[in-house]
Amino acid sequence: MAQSVTVLLVPQLGTEVTEAEITEWLMADGEPVEAGEPVVNISTTKMAMDLEAPASGRLKIVMEEGEIAKVGDTLAEIS
Amino acid sequence: MPKALVIDPAVTRQRDSLAVPPIPVHAYDVPFADALTLHGAETLRDALRHMVLIREFESMLASFKATGAYRGVDYAYRGPAHLSIGQEGAAVGAALALAPEDYTFGSHRSHGEFLAKGLGAIARLPEAELDGIMARQDGGRLREAAETAVAGEGRALAETFLMLGFLAEIFMRATGFNGGMGGSMHAFFPPLGCYPNNAIVGASAGIATGAALRRRLAGEAGICVAHAGDGATGCGPVWEAMNFAAMGQLSTLWEAPFDGGLPVLFFFTNNFYAMGGQTSGETMGWDRLSRIGAGVAPNALHAETVDGTDVLAVADAVARKRALLVDRQGPALLDVECYRISGHSTTDANAYRSRDELKLWEAHDPIARLATSLIDAGALAEDGLAALEEEAGRRIEAVTRAAVDEALSPSVDIVAHPVLIGDLMFSGGETPVPDAPSTLTAPREASAALRKLARKSRAGRDADGAPLSPMRAITLRDGLTEAILDRMERDPRLAAWGEELREWGGAFGVTRGLSDVLPYHRLFNAPISEAAIVATAIGHAMAGGRSMVELMYADFIGRAGDEIFNQLAKWQAMSAGQLKLPVVLRASVGSKYGAQHSQDWSALIAHIPGLKVIYPATPYDAKGLMASALASDDPVVVFESQRLYDRVEQFRHAVPAESYTLPLGVPEVKREGRDVTVLTIGPSLYPALDAARDLAALGVAAEVIDARSLVPFDYAPVLASVARTGHLLVVSEASERGSMAQTLAATVTRHGFASLKAAPIVLGAPNWIVPGAEMETTYFPQAHDIVDAVTAEFYPDRKPNRRGVRDWDGLSLARRGL
Repeated sequence: MAQSVTVLLVPQLGTEVTEAEITEWLMADGEPVEAGEPVVNISTTKMAMDLEAPASGRLKIVMEEGEIAKVGDTLAEIS
Repeated sequence: MPKALVIDPAVTRQRDSLAVPPIPVHAYDVPFADALTLHGAETLRDALRHMVLIREFESMLASFKATGAYRGVDYAYRGPAHLSIGQEGAAVGAALALAPEDYTFGSHRSHGEFLAKGLGAIARLPEAELDGIMARQDGGRLREAAETAVAGEGRALAETFLMLGFLAEIFMRATGFNGGMGGSMHAFFPPLGCYPNNAIVGASAGIATGAALRRRLAGEAGICVAHAGDGATGCGPVWEAMNFAAMGQLSTLWEAPFDGGLPVLFFFTNNFYAMGGQTSGETMGWDRLSRIGAGVAPNALHAETVDGTDVLAVADAVARKRALLVDRQGPALLDVECYRISGHSTTDANAYRSRDELKLWEAHDPIARLATSLIDAGALAEDGLAALEEEAGRRIEAVTRAAVDEALSPSVDIVAHPVLIGDLMFSGGETPVPDAPSTLTAPREASAALRKLARKSRAGRDADGAPLSPMRAITLRDGLTEAILDRMERDPRLAAWGEELREWGGAFGVTRGLSDVLPYHRLFNAPISEAAIVATAIGHAMAGGRSMVELMYADFIGRAGDEIFNQLAKWQAMSAGQLKLPVVLRASVGSKYGAQHSQDWSALIAHIPGLKVIYPATPYDAKGLMASALASDDPVVVFESQRLYDRVEQFRHAVPAESYTLPLGVPEVKREGRDVTVLTIGPSLYPALDAARDLAALGVAAEVIDARSLVPFDYAPVLASVARTGHLLVVSEASERGSMAQTLAATVTRHGFASLKAAPIVLGAPNWIVPGAEMETTYFPQAHDIVDAVTAEFYPDRKPNRRGVRDWDGLSLARRGL
């Protein structure tokens, strides 16, 4: 049976925001995470927010701290 | 907002009923013999003598106002005389329990409060220290005048010195404590703990609270007393101050040794009347003033009602409250009941109270009461009071003669020094970032937000010259953040507060990340109390700190109107430059939210003498000017446009990572040109630059100058530019009528008239409300409005470019009030 993978995406952060920076990973690559647990802090020029794990599983970080992601980009995979 | 404090519905939703702790009313019940033993006969005779001196001092003022004479001295005193005759027990009772190092902040009716605190400190301080205080004041000039007025030495001389310095101030003489710049309602003398009296009802509450904050942060021992009358309980800023002093975070979040409610005593001298309005029963909801403590904190601010006609009851209460404050259980509130026998002022005809009522209170004179008790106890001769009164008359007469004597108490000579008062408005002093160890609680690298800042490009453009996104390059917001952090790190005297300033980083992220590396007592969230935010910043600075506070939106300046316009702007000059107010007041200028969140009030602030005003428009300028504002020993109001927070640098190659300052008051040419000078304020720089490009296509070379500062302002670069171009257009987002843009244009016209080929134009916002985002471009001057103005007025031979809506008749609008 194929392992299910859930992706953590950069959410829509308002109509005027198109990109956000990964300011800090709160969990390490490869670490198990629980659904609903904050895993990463992202920020725009005006605001910062924590994103929660959309599912439980093992975290695979796709974009590193300091990278700038567009709305809809994949930040991590949870399998 | 702090995540450490969880709002648990299981707790908040519990059925309960609130109990208010008992608020004692006239509970003092100590036999006089015991009080005599406690204080000693000498101290109580002194207290009586102080009350007699205060009454004679005020009777002298009353006599001058009523008859122009006192004991053979003719003098036309033209200033105010808000007398406290009958209330001496409250002031002297408080002073009896205060230490010399405690600070009192007076009300407008403060002759008694001032003299009582000063006389109390003189009675307790070592004589050598008093000699030093007198020698340092005005180069010893006042001491010499005092010695000439009344022969004496030691404490007696210090008392004469105090009364003469105060009376000379009331008469606005150069030798007065404030150099003649304060007068009756603004006198101060910090060496004896007499901080400023205040002519604005209730204004001392917030200032005293700020001073108490500074004393806590500096580890000083003394407390602060905020004097106010009962009428002040109707003033919002007083409530704001009481709440600020009692904020929960002081106990729940601040770390030792800075924790605990602030050491400030709100001392209400309750004479039952707010001028003529009767507080209890007419203008207020409370029956007993002390009841209001219950509305502020669970401990009801330890409130009590005490008998202000009984020196001993007041001293007892103040001593107990002082102990609580020293024990970090402040703030405290006292309702001190007494009765003003004199009128509110000399025009008071007692229309609001009956003769019968006045008669009822004659039996409760604080002087007669203490004198009788002392005589009954054998601690004062039968004619002791009469002797004290006779002595007070002689001393006050001598002090009065000295105060009206031009040789001993010279008048302020404005004719000889026409800019004398102007020279007192600003010290012009700067305190560079101290060469001190870092005060950060964690390295900058520990903060994700500060790491993010460190990763950004210092330059605003990429290798090909294309502008970088604000996510990738240092923005105006970041420039402010860096300047603030640089100063906060090295200057432990600087503390910052404002709404959402900590975890949120301010509503617009300027202080984001700072809460990761600064403790609560250096950076904290303030209540939505703009008046208290500014008033505490003033008190904090007055007592030796440096303050940076934020008002979120400039539109909220109105909520702190008195604090900004009457207090922050004026205390340096009203103290003849003796008080320094290193306060930075940040205010963002909004956008998109319409009339109450988008108005540029920079012109309003620039209009008030005593405030320096900057309005940076680029990241480089923002960082350098903010660093200068924080270094300034004068108050500086910093306007920050929300539309510019995300601007990256486009005029200089890069914004330096290290700290630097830029001089306040120097405009800068941002684009050179020979045909027209466009002088911009704040965000108008950018439409002006766009317009300059469009004008270039029409063959008009515009020179764009960014004002950067409004106060001070060096006109030289603008006059030099106009000498080349012959034309001036001033662009601002503030409403045109009475604006700084009009002042700039008028001044250039006056001093550069020979260079001008046409009358300058002012392009500001129209004199109506700021509309919402959908209509904003019709309100704030746009690039095409600037092109229109230049082509229509200065270069009519070029193709006009009427794309805007500003084709109206200004004179016709003015007739309609627009």
